[in-house]
Amino acid sequence: MCVGVPMKITEINYPMAVAEAKGVKRNVNLMLIPEDEIKVGDFVMVHVGSAIEVISEKAADEIWEALDEVLALMDEREESGNA
Amino acid sequence: MDIEKIIKAYDNPDKLINLIKEITPTDRKIKIMNVCGSHEHTITFSGMRSILPDNIELIPGPGCPVCVCSESDIINAINLSKREDTILVTYGDMLRVPTGIGSIRTEGKNYKMVSAPHEITKIAQQNPDKNVVFFSIGFETTTAPTAAFLEIGVPKNVTVLTSQKLTPEIMDILVEDTEIGIDAFIAPGHVSAIVGANAWKKFPEKHKIPTVVAGFEPENLLLAIAVIILQLVNKKPSLENVYRGVVKNEGNRKALELIYKYFEKTDVNWRGIGYIPNSGLDFKEEFGILDARKRFELPQIEEKKIRDCICDKIILGKAYPSECKLFGKACTPGNPKGPCMVSGEGACNIWYRARKSQQGV
Ligand code: SF4
Repeated sequence: MCVGVPMKITEINYPMAVAEAKGVKRNVNLMLIPEDEIKVGDFVMVHVGSAIEVISEKAADEIWEALDEVLALMDEREESGNA
Repeated sequence: MDIEKIIKAYDNPDKLINLIKEITPTDRKIKIMNVCGSHEHTITFSGMRSILPDNIELIPGPGCPVCVCSESDIINAINLSKREDTILVTYGDMLRVPTGIGSIRTEGKNYKMVSAPHEITKIAQQNPDKNVVFFSIGFETTTAPTAAFLEIGVPKNVTVLTSQKLTPEIMDILVEDTEIGIDAFIAPGHVSAIVGANAWKKFPEKHKIPTVVAGFEPENLLLAIAVIILQLVNKKPSLENVYRGVVKNEGNRKALELIYKYFEKTDVNWRGIGYIPNSGLDFKEEFGILDARKRFELPQIEEKKIRDCICDKIILGKAYPSECKLFGKACTPGNPKGPCMVSGEGACNIWYRARKSQQGV
């Protein structure tokens, strides 16, 4: 529930937007970001459907890399556990 | 301390682990508490505890929002869902949290799960003759989205049962507890994106405890631990932020503005811990119309201890999950007896899944 994911804004109809990550699109509430500080193509950190912060593409990539790493660790452990 | 220099010189996990091994004093225990389910997750699944020196204790604190949600609020939510004229809406994890009378899933009647508050609007529009009650639980990372949802404007049939808690305030209590004896804090990354790194300043300043804001990446956490040990060795506790790509010193002003537009601080009950002054949020008087507690005159229900469950000790860092006699036996993620086994952020749940794989069970 508390896990945030970086997403890329693809459409804005402030205060709502559509954002994408890993090919999945979601409606995102932008109310926590001032309207003049966000545009299509920006990356945001999303928690339970709200963008909580604008982040750089580099930060988004790094966080995804880490998320993938953590998820892979989990899969690896759980798979070996279930084997 | 020049973090940039450390980042440059120790640019991979192995170097960071070696640095930590080199500088950690061996003559005493060093207790570092995290208050974020994602931190605990990374620490446990990466096997960090077994890699670092034995005298570094990484303690999971009250970083799991569903674990500390008051039983009274959950029972009120169950009872609301039993009303014919009402639909209770909440996040998936909350549905399975056990209380003395069962969970929302086992005892509730009309309930729905959402993954974002804005999904509630559609449910309310499709059910205009029902009261739709949003059971809004969590820390600052879920409270800000609730405020954002309210700010957009909600249908008239929506009210909110608030059970929102404030992280810096609970840490303020834990730090005073000599039984736990915390030497340092790893502050939660995404909570800090809302409240700002500066919200933790009082820990090094007032309590003389090194405090580092970190993300959940293994490397970022190792960096935080290295910085903490350096501060302890040099006896210079300070606040550092190693998650600068996401966390600003002042936090998210708009989010804080919106949170405190609708809510004000109040004393709240942390499950297993008790009432802590000004550690939660409730509606301001002028937004009483949105307040489910008022609308349905919800009572305060006394908390019942779940037999043999030691979640209360675990969330205070006074015991590890493996010390509970139900752990992995009567209590598993498929059949949670206590709140710490329910969500992926609960220490028991995380430890169970990691241990299960290690043992090849
Ligand atoms: S293992 Fe289950 S019963 Fe034991 S402390 Fe954890 S949640 Fe409670």
